[in-house]
Amino acid sequence: MNAPVKPDALGIGARPFAVPDPIIRFEQVGKTYAGRSRQQAVAALSGIDLTVPAGAIVGVIGRSGAGKSTLIRLVNGLERATAGRILIEGEDVTALNEAGWRRRRREIGMIFQHFNLLSSRTVFDNVALPLEIAGTPKATIASKVEKLLALVGLADKSGRYPAELSGGQKQRVGIARALATDPKLLLCDEATSALDPETTQSILALLRQVNRELGITILLITHEIPVIKEICDRVAVIEGGRIVEEGETFAVFTNPQHPTTARFVEAVTGVEVPAHLADRIRPEARPGSEIVLRITFTGENATAPVISRLSSVVGVDVNILAGRIDAIAGKPFGSLLVSVPSRIPESEAVLGALRNLGLKAEVIGHVS
Amino acid sequence: MSPEILRLIGQATLDTLSMVAVAAGIGTLLGLPLGVFLATSKRGELFAAPALNAALGVLVNATRSTPFIILVVAIIPFTRLIAGTSIGTTAAIVPLTVASVPFIARLIEGAVREVDQGLVEAARAMGATPLQIVRKVLVPEALPAIVLGLTLAIVSLIGFSAMVGAVGGGGLGDLGIRYGYQRFMPEVMATVVAVLIVLVQFVQSFGDRLARRLNKRLRQG
Repeated sequence: MNAPVKPDALGIGARPFAVPDPIIRFEQVGKTYAGRSRQQAVAALSGIDLTVPAGAIVGVIGRSGAGKSTLIRLVNGLERATAGRILIEGEDVTALNEAGWRRRRREIGMIFQHFNLLSSRTVFDNVALPLEIAGTPKATIASKVEKLLALVGLADKSGRYPAELSGGQKQRVGIARALATDPKLLLCDEATSALDPETTQSILALLRQVNRELGITILLITHEIPVIKEICDRVAVIEGGRIVEEGETFAVFTNPQHPTTARFVEAVTGVEVPAHLADRIRPEARPGSEIVLRITFTGENATAPVISRLSSVVGVDVNILAGRIDAIAGKPFGSLLVSVPSRIPESEAVLGALRNLGLKAEVIGHVS
Repeated sequence: MSPEILRLIGQATLDTLSMVAVAAGIGTLLGLPLGVFLATSKRGELFAAPALNAALGVLVNATRSTPFIILVVAIIPFTRLIAGTSIGTTAAIVPLTVASVPFIARLIEGAVREVDQGLVEAARAMGATPLQIVRKVLVPEALPAIVLGLTLAIVSLIGFSAMVGAVGGGGLGDLGIRYGYQRFMPEVMATVVAVLIVLVQFVQSFGDRLARRLNKRLRQG
């Protein structure tokens, strides 16, 4: 049950043309925290295989305690792996010493749930900090910081202190700071979990912009499925220190294989049955009851005029019970709960028509 | 009061100020690095050295648990080694400094431990060295608390300095005891107490204002 399910395990490696090295590759990585005795040692992660292709936005989702914080900290050496190998741009970083890690870290930006801005420094000086640490000349720092503040939309807040900013503005400063040393990779540690939904959207839009316009690869961890849905090209689901499912976001969302994944995606794909309706659905037909169908739309089909087609072509009345159409990783996806008459000719005709439209339809019960 | 007494009070005030200033200055110079080290050298911390940390902790506690008047007498050989003499205002600076270093170190340790560990993690993620983290993150972020701690240390030193009369150190405390108490001159005692109150008030309110100015965590109007 806990075996990783990878719908496209062969996807990247099997492509016939040359693919650039992935920016991060985890190979059977494990992390065990030593306890006072062997019995007290805690395995935070085990058998992690994960690939982050250059230019992608990859999300790792899991509940608190699943190991995702540890996982993201292995990438910049804030935590050290105790098993397996981690390759960054092809270099095995598992054996790096602290000085080697410091050089590596200057090429990896990181943003945090609680922003971690220095309260004693202005916005400008916060963004300048990684450049000071890297020994960049003052004049270069000034022009660089101005550019970054303009990018994140805070050019007018340069002289303010973090205490004077809103949460969203603080995270923008965090992003500007993380980009200061021109990293190829940005790590986001629950970057939107302390923000309200509206601010979350604006920060996600900024991250997408950073990814597209600057070509920066992003690895993020979150417990919020909307974050994955909104911006991630690929997603890994982590539970109990193991990756239980991994793949392209759209594929994972529309066809989850692992129960944990299914629970996570239900909330956003609208596939769950509303509570008021679930009470009325019976497993067997009764005289005069109707069949409840769940129609799932994916990709191109999501925009098909299915209801009008059913009424006009098949000539049955379709009763809409619940539904939702949304975009996942930029592709439309949705599901619709409908009831149709359960008499044999009509119901057969409806199912046939849906198949012809290329839609997935399943009978989930009967309602009277 | 005679002009002679007023002159004595003036001289004693200067003596107190110079003893306290030198002891606080050297105390900060030595106590700051010691305090930062104590705050960053337990297991798993920036300069992890748990054994040294524990040893220094014992030393600091030992010095701090010795009553100051005992310390003054106990370290007379050391005082003579440093100051060339064990009597007088200059010699009195030695025990004052010895008492202030562990006191200031503990105050600074507390201030540095209050700094959010998230900031240390952020700085590490930027590739900062442990020394850069101390210079650019820990000390600046702890500065308001450090200033308040030093204020407290200076106020305590003003109090301690009254005891160094026991080894022939000058200053306000010595004057109060010798003239106010032993020669039955209550007006001298009252003046000494008044000057001490003014000094402490001044130091405290200056420290408070400086700490508030440095603290950017609050929205400023």
